[in-house]
Amino acid sequence: MLEIKNLTKRFGTFEAVKDVSISVPDGAFLVLLGPSGCGKSTLLRMLAGLEQASSGQIIFDDQVVSDGDKNWSVDPAKRNSGLVFQSYALWPHMSVRGNVEWPLKVMNMPTAERKSRTDEVLTLLDIHALADRYPNEISGGQQQRVAIARTIAPKPGVLLFDEPLSNLDAKLRVEMRTELMRLHRATGATTVYVTHDQIEAMTMATHVAVINEGRVQQFGAPSDLVDHPETAFVATFVGTPPNNIIPVKKQGDGVSAGGHVMAMEPPNDDCLAMYRAEMLNIVDAPTPRTISMELVETSAIAGRMMVTGLSDTLRLTAIVDRLDTVRVGDTVHFELPHQPQSWFSLTGERIE
Amino acid sequence: MVDVPMRAHGRRVFFQQGTVLKLVVVLILLLLIVFPLIRTVVFTFQPDTIGAWGDVLQGRLSKNLFYKPLGNTLLIGAIVSTGCVLLGGFLAWLVVMTNVPFRRTIGVMATLPFMIPSFAAALAWGTLFRNDRVGGQIGWIQGLGFDVPDWLAWGIVPTLIVLTLHYFSLAFTIIAAALATVNSDLVEAAQIAGAKGRRILMGIILPVTTPALVAAGSLCFAGAVSNFATPALLGLPVRMQTLSTRLFGMIEVGQVGRGYVIGILLVIISGAFLWAGNRFISGRRSYATITGKGGHAKRFDLRAARWPLFCVAMVFLLASTVVPTIVLFASSFAPSSANLFSGWTTHYWIGTSNPSFAQGIPGILYNADITRALVVTLALGVCVAFLGMMIGLLVSYTTARYRDGWLSAAITQFSFLPLLVPGIAFGAAYIAYLGAPIGPFPALYGTFALLVIAGTAYLLPFSVQTGRAVIQQVSGELEESARITGAGFLRRLASITVPLAIRGLSAGGILIFVKIIRDLSLVVLLFTPTMPVMSVLAYRYASEGFAQFANAITVVILVISIVATLLASRLQAKSQPWLKD
Repeated sequence: MLEIKNLTKRFGTFEAVKDVSISVPDGAFLVLLGPSGCGKSTLLRMLAGLEQASSGQIIFDDQVVSDGDKNWSVDPAKRNSGLVFQSYALWPHMSVRGNVEWPLKVMNMPTAERKSRTDEVLTLLDIHALADRYPNEISGGQQQRVAIARTIAPKPGVLLFDEPLSNLDAKLRVEMRTELMRLHRATGATTVYVTHDQIEAMTMATHVAVINEGRVQQFGAPSDLVDHPETAFVATFVGTPPNNIIPVKKQGDGVSAGGHVMAMEPPNDDCLAMYRAEMLNIVDAPTPRTISMELVETSAIAGRMMVTGLSDTLRLTAIVDRLDTVRVGDTVHFELPHQPQSWFSLTGERIE
Repeated sequence: MVDVPMRAHGRRVFFQQGTVLKLVVVLILLLLIVFPLIRTVVFTFQPDTIGAWGDVLQGRLSKNLFYKPLGNTLLIGAIVSTGCVLLGGFLAWLVVMTNVPFRRTIGVMATLPFMIPSFAAALAWGTLFRNDRVGGQIGWIQGLGFDVPDWLAWGIVPTLIVLTLHYFSLAFTIIAAALATVNSDLVEAAQIAGAKGRRILMGIILPVTTPALVAAGSLCFAGAVSNFATPALLGLPVRMQTLSTRLFGMIEVGQVGRGYVIGILLVIISGAFLWAGNRFISGRRSYATITGKGGHAKRFDLRAARWPLFCVAMVFLLASTVVPTIVLFASSFAPSSANLFSGWTTHYWIGTSNPSFAQGIPGILYNADITRALVVTLALGVCVAFLGMMIGLLVSYTTARYRDGWLSAAITQFSFLPLLVPGIAFGAAYIAYLGAPIGPFPALYGTFALLVIAGTAYLLPFSVQTGRAVIQQVSGELEESARITGAGFLRRLASITVPLAIRGLSAGGILIFVKIIRDLSLVVLLFTPTMPVMSVLAYRYASEGFAQFANAITVVILVISIVATLLASRLQAKSQPWLKD
């Protein structure tokens, strides 16, 4: 069990991580998802022991490894955890074998055992043939495998990944995703994985924590986030394509939405309406339920068409069957259904 | 696989990471750099020395003690820095922006003068231009039958020329680096706008490189006002004093209090100019750091002026390096400076003692003083290089990895403090600091240890700078990933940081080695007959009229410097499989 209790990290007066509490069972695949600068990497570095928490506790398997309130910390090497860096941080003056072997040497593993463990992980990651090469003589994907091999060689109970796939090209990223999940099943190690890519989070995680500005916005299974976003931020950050959020203001019997007055029954005078992309439709002529926008993007996706329109600052994306007649720059009419999927307050909280 | 149990319990975190390391480094810097300077200042405020301030600043002697040397010093600073920026800037412009013939050769030659000791050119000047005004040997030109006027043989004019020909290469390096970053797009955009050569130079290139010009000017100023060897060799015989020669003279005759006061004033003057230059640069936006595709596809076409400008450049370059080297070499074989190229003898190199020759002084090979000086100098160079790189690595490591906090700021400030202190004033400070016993520790005056400690402290800005460049190549994550495995600080340093940085470290170490073995101003006050070094020996021989010995020793220093530099590049080229492309 990996438990994070009321964890906070301050740099001077700036709070990078604010009162985070998360708990996952052994063997879980926890993804920390958020935009860059949201504090997710700082959180990961606290788990690894590279940063000391300002307050709150981190508990691995019922043992407190870091206690910010008591200023107490277990050395990074003694936490039974391993970290894969975003840059891989392979030691360039050591061969592939040397990189994997050195941490075992530091922990004083007997030579024979060390050799066999090194061979074992090199084979597990399918890089045994590269054992005598140096990091600059192998490709980015291979470097990634070496970094992972080096991290799992000491058999850590907790595996930490800091945006490990962000330096790879798109095709390799998909392959490595599969590879990482295979590895997770093979080792059974509790895994914490930091990324800003919601597709990675949706495909790999058993648990996802969406983080923004140092706070956990929502914590749950991937499907929860899509089906039942807790905040407007989660609604727009998760899902492909992202959900649409339209600010509405009560006006007479209906509301003003995107500059148009239409019939709707909002829970408050001022709030945000969320629509999934597949709920919107494109129609030929304006009706009382449409918003007219300039067409700015179209893209074919899995036999359907993703259409994005822009009007002032409002941006809407719809998934429709076909759209042959209009060109980018034309005016299109987005039709809204009678009720939105969900309502959020102006500050982003969900309104039930 | 969760089969490894948690191995140990944690511990209280008493200090933030790096605090202990920072404190150790601050302590080292306080001991090496800050205390000597404070000790010097404190010394001048003791009851029996406080009168020195009055003597120097407003007493009956103050005109001769301070104001006249001050005038000379400022004149030297102003003219030399102007000359250096003009000459260095001209050469940098030729090399970087025009199609002058043999650009690369000019570029390499323009960096050479700073590699040779500053007293080499002064000695060579004396060998060529000495006249009979102060007695002793006459120079080559007088020997040919020409009459060399006093103003050309001695005093301010030769000092200005020699210093300019030495320091311009510093200005060249800085300005060329700045010009190289001026994106060719900037120039092409101006050309498209219809501007012509002169307009582009005044309107685009000059404003963009102003910070570099100011930096070059203030560094050359600080260098010129604190230079000791040149005014001492060319000015002292006709009683032209600068602050550094005055400081030397005062301490030589035992008026230590007055000497220190002059030293403190010299530090204030050279420091003020460096500070002002720095202020000016940091006050405005630095344009020169704008990087782009670079590559000057189009160079200014000099057309008919190509070869004339090439010749102008070569005159300065030959005069600053090739001519002095040839003159020194020839002089070490010539029976007298007047006959540089005839009747050569090897006496000054391998002759044994002969009463009819140079007052019985044996040649370098059999001269116990000189061989001892050679051993001491080489040992000093090795020790300072090694110690300097160790401390430099520690300091730059600390400030690079733990950047935050006032302690790191203090470390940076302290480690660059010696840049503001002229070598001769730094030497004086070390006499004040370690010349007398401190508590249980004996006085170090006249010991090898004093030379090593003072040399290490004096060159620390260079070691820290080198160390910083080296550390920045080793990314922090490489080290953190080692920390996670449980490797301790020393093990990480030994297995990760040093192996990755060894090339830069050894190159930096050799640079420091070369700097200390050709230094005169720092060691001239720390010199004792029991602990002689080559440069001071050369200076002594020169001021006693044995020009050939001085020149022969200088040739030895030159050769060692060149060999060491070549060795550095060999070391760097040593194959390292992880650096292959």
